[in-house]
Amino acid sequence: MAHVLLGFATLTALFPVFWTVTTSIKTREDSFSDPPKIVNFEPTAKNYRSLLGKQEFTDVLWNTVIVTVCSTILCVTIGGLASYALARNRLFPGRRPLEAGLVFVRAMPGIVIIVPLYRLIADLGLYDSKPTMIVIYTAVNLPFAIWLMKSFFEQIPIELEECAGVDGASRWTTIRRVVLPLASPGLAATGIFISLLTWNEFIIPALLGGNNTKTLPVYISGFVANRSFDWGPLAAASSLAIVPIVILTVAIQRRLVSGLSSGAVKG
Amino acid sequence: MTAAARSRSARRARWVATGLTAPSWLLLLALFAIPIGIGIWLSFRNEALNSFAEPRFVGLDNYQRMVTEPTSGELIDAAVVTVIIMGLGLAVQLPIGVGLAVLLNRQLKFSRWYRSALLIPMLLTPVAVGLMWRFMLDTDTGVINWLLERVGLFGPDWLGSRWGARVAVVLVDSWQSIPFVMLLILAGLAGIPDGPDEAARVDGASSLQVFRRITLPQLKPVLYVVLMIRVIDTFKLFDTIFILTRGGPGTATQTLAMYNYSLGFVLLKTSQAAALGTVLAIITLPVYFLWQRASRAVEA
Repeated sequence: MAHVLLGFATLTALFPVFWTVTTSIKTREDSFSDPPKIVNFEPTAKNYRSLLGKQEFTDVLWNTVIVTVCSTILCVTIGGLASYALARNRLFPGRRPLEAGLVFVRAMPGIVIIVPLYRLIADLGLYDSKPTMIVIYTAVNLPFAIWLMKSFFEQIPIELEECAGVDGASRWTTIRRVVLPLASPGLAATGIFISLLTWNEFIIPALLGGNNTKTLPVYISGFVANRSFDWGPLAAASSLAIVPIVILTVAIQRRLVSGLSSGAVKG
Repeated sequence: MTAAARSRSARRARWVATGLTAPSWLLLLALFAIPIGIGIWLSFRNEALNSFAEPRFVGLDNYQRMVTEPTSGELIDAAVVTVIIMGLGLAVQLPIGVGLAVLLNRQLKFSRWYRSALLIPMLLTPVAVGLMWRFMLDTDTGVINWLLERVGLFGPDWLGSRWGARVAVVLVDSWQSIPFVMLLILAGLAGIPDGPDEAARVDGASSLQVFRRITLPQLKPVLYVVLMIRVIDTFKLFDTIFILTRGGPGTATQTLAMYNYSLGFVLLKTSQAAALGTVLAIITLPVYFLWQRASRAVEA
């Protein structure tokens, strides 16, 4: 009984992914056939060829990669410093307001700041520039990054650091030799998690970016605008967006589970 | 080390900690505090990108507009839609998430495989999967209605009817969020000792009784956290609705966030959008206190 329920749930969870990937290698006729062709179709690479042959699409892919990588590095670095402080020092000046600010920012709908932010970056002449987008993504994902990394730092026994200190290691040496090696799997998982959030981000590049900063989700959403609904290339673009995520999610799931869980359970 | 020196070094360590948070402060101020300030300022003006009227201060006009027709009607409508989608979403996501977590927690054969597979929807690009769902939900050519027909059900006009669209939004959002609920509940279950429920089983309690009387009460703090996160995230929900329905048909799926978007970026009424944004920000203010309560409950 339990296996039937879990099996059904698994099927439901995976079916849309399966359908996206198979649609991306079907011809137009096959993707609309009645009854639908589940596996009995002739695979074609046509959709991918037409997509990857477009300069616009490869630019978009490149934009997405650059922006994701830069903002993830920035976010993990800045967030890492803050989360180390939060994990190790219970009473420093500004701790309370920082925690409150992070929760508030996490809870607020994005559109609330996007309306005034649009005005601000337009007035400052920063519209449609990659650095602007990188900084905005970093700020938006910061609360989540800090929340996760704090839980990873807390999992490292503070005694280890105290011992290193007693043995005469400087603070900096302790961090480099003791803390970072122990924290690195957690930091890597956080990095991957944040990069997925950035990769998926839609409302910010859609509303605050232009052609220079167009990312994959914005490109994919463009298929709706031109009404024709070219499902083959659309499914191909979607597959390129989600297949890496499926692989990464499976690869980091153990860390992810431990980080998210202890983060959530401890608040 | 003397007491004075120790307290000096503790004070120094505290300021070092503050220093480590400085870059985070800078980002939060530049990208949240300042825009919110600008938003409040805009909300007292009459700026609109589609009007040639001289921009000037109009006091509380934009707020007053919210409580007078026709804007008040639109606002109430959006609030009701938000509550409907939130209510339906929680009613679907919490039971299924808890159910799956309980099943996985039994450590059956293949449990780890199930868990890996079930987590996948959580991190997929909402825009991409939203569009694929739209493809699958198509009334005439979609695979969902074809499958429903196989089992003798007549699929509704999903995205073309008011309730069909609402259910579709809840369905797609639930498909992506149930893994998250499951994950946190699973963590909660891992923290519950096995003793009491084994004792109850030995005494002849059924699985359902054990779950209701023993497991569920102990899960309460985690459930509270999950509930709060889901309320927050449904309040913020944007991508899925934007891709599936754009708030339509009519205003059937226009939540407060979608309404705010439409004021600012479709109707181009910057100041009115800023006023609504300010109100939404105020609504989210108490979350921090709820959050603290939740984390205290978990620690206790």
